[in-house]
Amino acid sequence: MRTLKWYAMTILAICILAGRGLYADFRAGVYTPTGPETIHQILPATASTDATYDAGQYPIYYPELAAGDGKDDVENNCELCHSPRYITMQPVMSAQAWSDEVNKMRKTFGASIPDDTAQKIIQYLGSHYTPETRKR
Amino acid sequence: MKSGLVPSSKKTSRRNFIRTGMLAAAAAPALAAWPTNAPQPAEQPPPNQQPAPEFTGPGANPYWTSPGQFATYPQKAPLILLTDRPVQLETPRHYFLSTVTPNDAFFVRWHLQTIPNAVDLKEWRLHVEGNVERTLALSFPELVTRFKTVSIAAVNQCSGNSRSRLQPRVAGGQWGNGAMGNAAWTGVRLREILDAAGVKSGSVQVQFEGLDRGLGPRGLGSNRFMKSLELTDPVIDVCVVAVAMNDEPLPMLNGFPARLIVPGYFATYWLKSLSSIRILDMPDDNFWMKQAYRIPDTPRGNTTPEDMKSGKVVTIPITKMPVRSFLISPDGSSKIPAGFPLRLRGIAFSGYGGVKKVEVSTDDAANWTDAQLGPDAGAYSFRTWSLNWTPKTAGRYLIAVRATDTKGNVQPDEGVWNPGGYLWNKIEHQEIVVGEAS
Repeated sequence: MRTLKWYAMTILAICILAGRGLYADFRAGVYTPTGPETIHQILPATASTDATYDAGQYPIYYPELAAGDGKDDVENNCELCHSPRYITMQPVMSAQAWSDEVNKMRKTFGASIPDDTAQKIIQYLGSHYTPETRKR
Repeated sequence: MKSGLVPSSKKTSRRNFIRTGMLAAAAAPALAAWPTNAPQPAEQPPPNQQPAPEFTGPGANPYWTSPGQFATYPQKAPLILLTDRPVQLETPRHYFLSTVTPNDAFFVRWHLQTIPNAVDLKEWRLHVEGNVERTLALSFPELVTRFKTVSIAAVNQCSGNSRSRLQPRVAGGQWGNGAMGNAAWTGVRLREILDAAGVKSGSVQVQFEGLDRGLGPRGLGSNRFMKSLELTDPVIDVCVVAVAMNDEPLPMLNGFPARLIVPGYFATYWLKSLSSIRILDMPDDNFWMKQAYRIPDTPRGNTTPEDMKSGKVVTIPITKMPVRSFLISPDGSSKIPAGFPLRLRGIAFSGYGGVKKVEVSTDDAANWTDAQLGPDAGAYSFRTWSLNWTPKTAGRYLIAVRATDTKGNVQPDEGVWNPGGYLWNKIEHQEIVVGEAS
């Protein structure tokens, strides 16, 4: 009986040692409920056999602009020619650099933004999109 | 819950536990970390699931591509979104393992917001006009059948590729390295089209325009996008009006139904949805030639913000792409076990006529080894390179890659600065983390 007990214990010990040798230390089965956003697949458009080649509409991915005075002016002026992603994509820039950009839009590209509105837009960008002020 | 992932229930968790229970029992130390309950919703994603930031600066963008979100577009795989109107999309790094960049992964960059969604080929014509003997209005079948079909592999790279590396940062599309691609472009020679129209003497430039339009006032760069080449430029003889990209029609976002290919030159000249070829008897003074896409007339197009402000810097239109090379795999996202036989792989190209040599350093540019070059697909194509390397011990290795083109130009190990954020071709450095293997 004692021999059998020793025998069983030895087998068990061998199993544990062999197991540890075979299966290296690992971590598994850990999931998190807060992963990155998923991206939907887009179905191909149904094509007609006529001479029109149609890719369909292009999606708008509207960014979240910082809340604050002047946001409306950005939405009502800058967004005529381009998406506000042209603002959120930029690196953080000095208030002076933002002022230069707004003036480039007016003088070089002909954006018809009145002086007082342009000042509000410059103030807004300089208040939310500089190295010191940008949050997201 | 914003996430598309559903938290696993206790039941699922328990089932998993039972299924792998035997394994866990054998691996006793793992047991301590074993989850016995469903994961609790976390306030913040764990470190390996943090989304990349939406912006970088004021330092250089440290990521290979721009760090923003992926987005889906018609005829496109998920690409990195820079802007949605006009559309600017960047190609993720792994697509550059091959010399052929797939059409659905090819980067997208438009200047004006009113871009084609659909084109009716019954109506579409390629107009050849201006200072010519006879104006042409070529239909799609005429364009394809009237001239000899040619095909060329050529790199299309945005002038502002890698703009986010500049210090100090400059405004504009904040591309990482993915505003480039290589494709087999099939179509007809520009020269044959010009000859068919008959360029009159006294002509100086040829101007190109596509179907895109902007909402700005007439006569300004915000209204129309046009680019011109000198008629004496030898590049005219290798230009192709392409109707196919990698043997498929061009995706709408890459310029269906026809696009100008200017081998060796930056993409600014590669007009998409091409509709007009105009022979000019005066140099083009439109915004996109006279003010935009210009580089300092200095070595490597390099200058400083101070010199620009002084007003002494003379600028010229950007043209050829300087030599560049990239490590594509491994990309640094995975830790490599010591002793693992790696194969470093990447691409190289030059707008000055092909790549002669690619060298790789595994000790941060101290010692260099020649890499093996892949098949030569022509002077204007990406060329693949590879080098076998087995890191013997654990550590942080800095890999550097440098290419030399057939004209003898070597990539510099210093950056460039100019107000447009153009011509970046500094040697790329990539950290590879090698862990202990026993």
